[in-house]
Amino acid sequence: MVDLLSLNPPRFFAALLPVASAVLLTVMVNIPLSLAYGLFPAPMLALAAIYFWALVRPDLMPPGAVLIIGLLEDLLSGGPPGLWASGFVAAYALADRQREILAGLSGAAALIGFAAATLLAAMMAYVLTWVVYHQWPALAPLLLACVITVALYPLIALPLAWTHRRVVGAMRGEV
Amino acid sequence: MAWLGGARPARGRSAFGTRASVAVCVVLSIAIAVFGKAEAPMFDAARASLSDVTAPALLGVRAPLVAVGRWFDSMSTMFSVYRENIALRQENAELRKWQDVALSLENRLKRYESLLNTAPDPAPPAVTARVIGESNRPFGKTMILNAGTEQGVRKGQAVSDDRGLIGRIYLTGQRTSWVILLTDVNSRVPVLIEPSQRRAILAGDGTLAPVLDLDLGAGAAHAGDRVVSTGDGGLLPAGLPVGVIMGEGNELRVSLYAASAASDYVRVLDYLVPPPPSDPAATAPAIGAPKPPQAAVAAERPPPARPAGVIRPTPALPTAPAGAAAVEEDR
Repeated sequence: MVDLLSLNPPRFFAALLPVASAVLLTVMVNIPLSLAYGLFPAPMLALAAIYFWALVRPDLMPPGAVLIIGLLEDLLSGGPPGLWASGFVAAYALADRQREILAGLSGAAALIGFAAATLLAAMMAYVLTWVVYHQWPALAPLLLACVITVALYPLIALPLAWTHRRVVGAMRGEV
Repeated sequence: MAWLGGARPARGRSAFGTRASVAVCVVLSIAIAVFGKAEAPMFDAARASLSDVTAPALLGVRAPLVAVGRWFDSMSTMFSVYRENIALRQENAELRKWQDVALSLENRLKRYESLLNTAPDPAPPAVTARVIGESNRPFGKTMILNAGTEQGVRKGQAVSDDRGLIGRIYLTGQRTSWVILLTDVNSRVPVLIEPSQRRAILAGDGTLAPVLDLDLGAGAAHAGDRVVSTGDGGLLPAGLPVGVIMGEGNELRVSLYAASAASDYVRVLDYLVPPPPSDPAATAPAIGAPKPPQAAVAAERPPPARPAGVIRPTPALPTAPAGAAAVEEDR
């Protein structure tokens, strides 16, 4: 784990970028706008950032931060507390357990890896909804949200990879 | 395509420590989900405070995007304006006939009510609020309004647009309130099917057309039948249009009249239910006691706080479905 307090200001802010990017995506997705007239559910973009940083810089995306990002998602999305927090942490656990395999994937295989993490997060939230409310919600909107999230992953991963190479990753030896 | 992966992770971390902290977070998050329902008021208070603080920003962000959306809409309708115009002319001619019928029936109804000395249903006072946000998530379909407790909005009040019922207020801040839409997975609303007068529960399941739960009550329910709110359980005003039944067999759904995604302004209906008489002997005036003046009665009227679980006194109607009283606490 990185000792943030021991870093100088530029490195300190660079070390915060992974968590900040996930928080920013959480806020962006939850700006409550119905751009598609309610036809499409909002994607889980924060999960893309969590997955990406969990693979390439897990020291800058600790599980505690993932839990807090998930709770923020629950708070902003108007849903019950803990559902997406559990889903995000479950996806993080998958990335943590299979890091060597998932981080080595590229192209379409990387998309499949992210799809597996997204599906795990969604299923975790789905099962917990049943545990808490004793009813199965419709599966179709959830799967649609997963498909949209996976489809948008390259758009999120591209700037994150740039940030990793130019800002965060460049300091890997010191941060 | 290294940006899609292929990057090597940083090393040198304590694998056991990380695994342990991941396991702790997994357990903690599940505990929050399972036991968080009991602590929902705390979470809701944080949510209401957040929407109160961010309301001006939400309004500012939403306005230009709504304008862009409308511009795209107008562009798409330009190509079908001629065909739509012909269809609207035909529909207008049909509606004029129905308008004559409706006016005639309205006059007749007024005469009957006058003859029978019927007390008319009071129109519930309403607060018109602007929609400043919507959330369309698989486990939550909500709407944020720019009216809260300062404007008299309270938990449980019905929210409708100019077409029909949208949902109910489930959370109020000082200047904002959150609406649980009829399509939300947690929404349960007692409804009445016309013309059979069968009672049912409209249950959201995350799709655009909520499910009609017909386990309670008896009577016919067919595709094309109209669905309105009942007022059972004192939750909603009776007779609010909700939608039309669609589907066949046991899986009946309701196509909603209201278009929550296209609504900019909505009405929050203040449905006042008379409080139950706690002690009839204490509240009944003594024989021969002077009748209090009307103004004094109005001044003594309790504040418009709706007691939970109170059944609206509608003796002509059948009893409410058993699930209706539980609807208030579905969030």
